[in-house]
Amino acid sequence: MHGMNTIRTLAVVVILAALLPPCVPAQSTVYSSVLATHLFVVGAANPQTGVFFQHPGDDTVWSHTGSKTIRAFNVALGPGSHGRVIYIAGGNGVHLSRDGGRTWKITTGWQITEVMCVAPDPADTNTVYCTTPYGVFKTTDGCSTWREMNTGLTALYIPSLIVEKGGLLCCVSEDGLFRSTDGGGRWDRMALSVSGTRILAQSPADPSFLIAGTENYGLYVSHDGGTIWTRSESGVDHLTFYAVAFDPVNPDIVYAGGYVTGVYKSLDGAKTWKRTNEGLANLNVHAIAVDPLDHNRVYAATLWGGVFSSVDGGAHWKSAGLSGSQVWSIVIHTL
Amino acid sequence: MNRNRVILPALAATLLGLPVSAGGASGTAADARSNVSRAEYLRGYQQRAQVIASYYDTSMAGDYYCAAARYASGKDIRTADSMFVAALKRPGGDMFWMFSCIGAYLNGKDRMSPETKAAVRNAWKTYAPYRGDTENHWAMYYSSLFLASEQWPGLPGSEWYNGKSSEENRADAKDYLIHWMEIATTIGQGEFDTPHYFTEYAVSMSLLADFAKDPDMKQRGKMMLDYLLVDFADEQLDGQYLGGYSRIYQPEVYMPITCPASAFAWLYFGTGEPVVSYWVLLPAIGEYRLPQIIHRIATDRSRSYVERERKRVRNVIRFGKEKNPPVYKYTYVTKEYGIGSLQGGLLQPIQQHTWGIQYTYGRPFTTIFGLHPYWSSYELGMFFPEEIKPLIADVVGSKGTYNNPDKWTGGSPFERTFQYRNTLIVLYDIEPGTMTEHIDGFFPRNLQERVADSSGWVFCKAGDTYIGWYPLQAGVWTQEADNWRFRSNHLRNGEVVEVRSKSEIGSFEKFCGALRLRRPGAELEPGNVAVEYTTLGGDRMNFRFPGRRTLNGKNVDLTKTPLFDGPFLHAAVGSQKLSITYGKEKLNLDFKQLTITE
Repeated sequence: MHGMNTIRTLAVVVILAALLPPCVPAQSTVYSSVLATHLFVVGAANPQTGVFFQHPGDDTVWSHTGSKTIRAFNVALGPGSHGRVIYIAGGNGVHLSRDGGRTWKITTGWQITEVMCVAPDPADTNTVYCTTPYGVFKTTDGCSTWREMNTGLTALYIPSLIVEKGGLLCCVSEDGLFRSTDGGGRWDRMALSVSGTRILAQSPADPSFLIAGTENYGLYVSHDGGTIWTRSESGVDHLTFYAVAFDPVNPDIVYAGGYVTGVYKSLDGAKTWKRTNEGLANLNVHAIAVDPLDHNRVYAATLWGGVFSSVDGGAHWKSAGLSGSQVWSIVIHTL
Repeated sequence: MNRNRVILPALAATLLGLPVSAGGASGTAADARSNVSRAEYLRGYQQRAQVIASYYDTSMAGDYYCAAARYASGKDIRTADSMFVAALKRPGGDMFWMFSCIGAYLNGKDRMSPETKAAVRNAWKTYAPYRGDTENHWAMYYSSLFLASEQWPGLPGSEWYNGKSSEENRADAKDYLIHWMEIATTIGQGEFDTPHYFTEYAVSMSLLADFAKDPDMKQRGKMMLDYLLVDFADEQLDGQYLGGYSRIYQPEVYMPITCPASAFAWLYFGTGEPVVSYWVLLPAIGEYRLPQIIHRIATDRSRSYVERERKRVRNVIRFGKEKNPPVYKYTYVTKEYGIGSLQGGLLQPIQQHTWGIQYTYGRPFTTIFGLHPYWSSYELGMFFPEEIKPLIADVVGSKGTYNNPDKWTGGSPFERTFQYRNTLIVLYDIEPGTMTEHIDGFFPRNLQERVADSSGWVFCKAGDTYIGWYPLQAGVWTQEADNWRFRSNHLRNGEVVEVRSKSEIGSFEKFCGALRLRRPGAELEPGNVAVEYTTLGGDRMNFRFPGRRTLNGKNVDLTKTPLFDGPFLHAAVGSQKLSITYGKEKLNLDFKQLTITE
């Protein structure tokens, strides 16, 4: 009997150990989704596209995960999965790995294509949203089945979607911003109906603080959760914005970037902006990410220029690899 | 994509006893070709197929086609195996790989070694093809995936490149293929009448027809191949696709006979040039046989006719509320020439060919056409999901002529057409500040006559085909390598085009004389671009940009255009039924019931 108890205890310890995250110092892993490198021609011998992750200790070396030529628009990590669950929004659909990138499955059928954004619901591991040029789709059974969620949308080209703090959804459409209070069952137009909205970001410190980037009208800011929007123009010389990122530590610091903009930085909560491009050899910025473990470490993903990094809050930049790539998104996962 | 295309010398073809169209075939000759018995047709077809197969089953190029041809003929299986295995060591080409790989496998699976079989199976596990973003990509991708999933049933997702099980892949592929067939037979193909990409559809359907185990899908494959081929057959002359196209490249656009579709015309219709192309290898070694009625339609040009068709615009994802607006195609077909047009506007990105005249004289430069060379991030943003502003640079990387002001392909939002029989009016109302503020006309250098007449008409003679082109504004002629370019630098512009053949009007002088008596009346003011013209046939055409068309005082309503309407083909929008008639012969394709009735 004593022996059996020992075995049982040992078994419990082993199981718990397997379930718990590995006991390592906190570190960040940077994931990038690459739509194309140099030139992408369907059917040709294209360079690798898809998702790459950065080698810890050498931020210019990247490893590829998943299929080699999937044209990845976006990558997301499963909340609470400690990096084991990875979603890729790709041309062929939503790719899912449940084992940290060792094996993959395309979870969507032919109806879902050119997936531009995948957004897992932090509150429910079985619920994931994805957006396409044909609208929003949702799964509630861990990617086994997907269904269309377009009621109320007046344009179906949806480049991105965020699950806001508090569980509301907000999607960015060709016809302005839309919000859903019932998990995508119905979408209602938000006050910002500027055509060609491209990106929306929510402040981690203040959920009512939203910033939207647009194709032709610059940046818009709301401090009341999206009821009133004001164009943020001071110091802004450009009109096309694809990327907005909040500093996770200092709520007044915000970054933005877009077509030939380089990186804009605001130190006063998006009231005024200043370009900060020293060393940034490519000014077409498609995504920006700030390391939660070191908020001075900032990454800029560019179209055709790969990834650039800064260790001084964007004051100076250097190439961080993937040169020649159209990098559409960059995600920092912290263990 | 014209690599591996071999034009057989006429002498070699003659020695093989193959019919070689000399161009400008007389009506009697065309009738003779269409009136062959089934046995005669099949004998000719078999000879042509054999030419193609024997080229590949002796070739040492070492690709999937060489292996497939050897498996089909039973020749030198060890060489086929070694070629196949070697090719599988470096799989690439996405859906182009998929259909050639599964095509070779299906032709050889009963003859190849176990090691070769294992290599094929392993490739479908480890090589992940991209699905692409066009209708032809998906036709290849899903027909190949469907056939592959049938060959290896019961396998878990870990045995497939995409992580889906055999059953999941089969169901997904079947669902898409049925969807595509339904939409194509309901509101028309999106990537329609393309001399370049016809082949991708035809090969995909040929493989389904030959190898699908699912009897419904086998039947669908055969029916869609009939559908595609008859759609080609009645807008085909001497091996070349006629009129407007959804997609074509240059120089194919001004050398229509060099398009890949022409290889199918030769194989199935016996028209055009004897040509060997890898695109026709898998069909040539397959079991599908063209229904006789389609061959008759392809070859009988004893009477001129009008063919009207409805197709659909590629998926519009931005700047439009309608996903697939209609395309209206109008084509006039004779034994010497065809003239055809789409209604104009942006119907396809990059490679649209809105209108053209093709004729039998002077290969390979057998066409006259015009366009407004247009490009914009707006056009690309309509159809592609990537960011709009960098899109032009992206596209130019692979389609280098896209932003070339001298290009010969592409649609324009500032171009519209109105055609009645063999008369065409084209109008342009170009927005100031557009990338190009000129229109161009393509005239081959090998024309027998190209005369800028003092009447304002340009008279051209191409064998027995006569073309009159009346530019509405002045322009400049420039000589280029293969052609003359007529460029007019006026924003509000256009041309009236009349085409007749010797058999229709008599001499070239008579044609010119008749046109000298006709001057189009034009209004070319900002926001008011219109033409009034009475044709050589005495019909009064009024056309006001962008879309007001009247014929003899009656409004022409393009929205009533059926899916197919001509002497041979009839299909109502939404019907999923195509009625094919030739004299007393009939063939009905019913995609709802999946039946073929005669």
